[in-house]
Amino acid sequence: MAKESMMTGCRAAAEGAKAAEVEVICSYPIRPYTAIMMELAKMVADGELNAEFIHGEGEHAQVSVVLGASAAGARAYTGSSGVGVTYAMELYSPMAGGRYPVQMTIADRTLDPPGDFGSEHTDAMSTRDQGWLLGWACSPQEVYDNTLMSYRIGEDHRVMLPQMVCQDGYFISHIPDKVILGEMSQVKEFLPPYRPIHPLSLTNPVSHGPQIRPDQGAPMDAMRAQTFLAIPKVIEEATADFARIFGRKYDPFVEQYKLADAEIAFFIMGAHSNTARAAVDRLRKEGVKVGMARLRWVRPWPTHQLAEALGHVKAVGVVETSTSYGGAMRGGNLVHELRASLYDLDTRPLVTSFMGGLGGETIWPADFNYMAGILSGMVKEKRTDRYVYWLGM
Amino acid sequence: MPAFDYKFQQLERLKSFKSVPEDEQYLPGHRTCAGCGPALNYRLVAKAAGKDTIFIGPTGCMYVANASYLCTPYAVSWIHAQITNAGAVASGIEAAFKIAMRKGRHTGPFPNIIVMAGDGGSVDIGLQAMSGMMYRGHKVLFICYDNESYANTGIQVSPMTPYGAATTFTPPGKEIPEGNALFPKNAPQLVIGGHPAVKYVATTTIAHPLDLMNKVRKALSKPGPTFLHILCPCPKGWLFDEKMTPDMAKLAVETGMWSMYEWEDGVYKYTNVPKKYKPVGDYMKPQGRFAHLKPEHIAKMQAFVDEKIKQVQRPIPVAAAVPTKQLA
Repeated sequence: MAKESMMTGCRAAAEGAKAAEVEVICSYPIRPYTAIMMELAKMVADGELNAEFIHGEGEHAQVSVVLGASAAGARAYTGSSGVGVTYAMELYSPMAGGRYPVQMTIADRTLDPPGDFGSEHTDAMSTRDQGWLLGWACSPQEVYDNTLMSYRIGEDHRVMLPQMVCQDGYFISHIPDKVILGEMSQVKEFLPPYRPIHPLSLTNPVSHGPQIRPDQGAPMDAMRAQTFLAIPKVIEEATADFARIFGRKYDPFVEQYKLADAEIAFFIMGAHSNTARAAVDRLRKEGVKVGMARLRWVRPWPTHQLAEALGHVKAVGVVETSTSYGGAMRGGNLVHELRASLYDLDTRPLVTSFMGGLGGETIWPADFNYMAGILSGMVKEKRTDRYVYWLGM
Repeated sequence: MPAFDYKFQQLERLKSFKSVPEDEQYLPGHRTCAGCGPALNYRLVAKAAGKDTIFIGPTGCMYVANASYLCTPYAVSWIHAQITNAGAVASGIEAAFKIAMRKGRHTGPFPNIIVMAGDGGSVDIGLQAMSGMMYRGHKVLFICYDNESYANTGIQVSPMTPYGAATTFTPPGKEIPEGNALFPKNAPQLVIGGHPAVKYVATTTIAHPLDLMNKVRKALSKPGPTFLHILCPCPKGWLFDEKMTPDMAKLAVETGMWSMYEWEDGVYKYTNVPKKYKPVGDYMKPQGRFAHLKPEHIAKMQAFVDEKIKQVQRPIPVAAAVPTKQLA
């Protein structure tokens, strides 16, 4: 029987990296992800993990170091939060386009200005066009599991892409919860060693990244886009294999909670989904036919899976913990792609969005009652009055 | 944890041109300008380092002009880096080979990991990454091929551009008659002054090919970070006849505009010190980038060089911040 212990999301991420036997780690401190690197530093110093632990001079350097390490054939790991994530922005496209499957662990933090240690998803969300795999956990257990699954998916030769494994700062990163770690035999069965394609080598000389003409660019972009068509299958295979080996079953793309007969639904990502689940249970007892769809992957976005999961619902409330100033709905990020996912349905659900948890604030059970009331009103009136509600203001 | 045994090959000192290997690791077919100083340098460096080499090429002339149209002239492995991060990418490559050796996955010699960075990629936008690499003690040779401008983007001022040089960001005009009013950073001093793990720093030029190749080999023989500052004249940026590239480098040394030295274990060793320095005007007159200067500007340059020369004539041994011999 696998041993269960209490640990924070930060500790769980480090345990996942250790289980994956990462070889080159590049650190730099920024709250709230720093503890992940502190845990790994101790593991390396104590001889529990055979890895090069490199003190990067900043987040831009961190991503650069692991790019070089991956190009030379090592399984590489780094991470950040908040403005650290955006400081490294230059490197995300080179990493993804170079097909270096490094993993970057993110404990979300609100972007400046000004300094705010609380969690928002905007930091990692603002990198979503750069070509990485990108997904969110909602518990320390899922952080550990996603760490292993993401390496498995990212290093698959049908994929070969870097992955961002995200967790809400503080709520997941710093609050302990029950986690079962895998046995080494399970990890070895699930996650094969990294097999780089054309690494920098002394025996087989290769060039990585020569300059190109504009007409050589479009085919490369198309190849990268094509890869994303193949990824959902790899995600499904890996998630099913994970369930078989570790005994923990995840819906590959969307956690569907009491959604099958729901008339209204919350569409949500990350930590606040835990409050949402409890709210769904409570509202159901009061006779409200409500459900929750929790997004696990932002890239690749599960377009068809969302249409299938939410198509029958009459009104969807997108709970946004990120901002998209001036965006089409003048609110957050998720609502645009959710509406796009539902656009081709013969009967489309009504959609609105709720800005919540911004700045690292709590989304309260009462907020979910409020949201459910709005959604029920929309169903009754058969229209959307507003597209963005700011909770608690 | 004991010091890592790099198990790298020791490359022999080249006693004369007869012992220079014939093999080319930097092949014809690149698209550099006629008379390109950095390209001449690349050929010499690659020859000296040999086949067990991995180059890191941050964006700049030695990226764009060498790697145009999805081709490269390197017979050894090479990777593009951003202009911002060559030191960091090189650090990651070095770390990957260390862990591969510890795990037994790589049994060959430790590669010669060489950064080929322009002046901008070394001491301007690339400074942070270079400094981080030097601080952490990675076994990487960082070469600054100095053509004294951001040449690839069409000749803009860099922190290595000499006082009085015209560039497209420092054009001379009524308000700013000298064009560039700033004096350059001192790249080797930046490295020597603050990084206890650095093993060897040297300056040279493409007009001294045997010296250049031997300094490359000496740097590669050290078990830690090393830095070479190499003067690579640029006919396009400096506006001189493309046949005169080595002559410009020679004149730089003869006028004191460029000093040749090594710094090893805290000790400076100067070479090619002219018995009598030529006036800086001899160096500046053949270059169109200085054509707009008045006598008072030339005098200012002469005063700057005179101060620099004093340091050469009275060599003061400067102790390393931490005695380098004691570091593993």
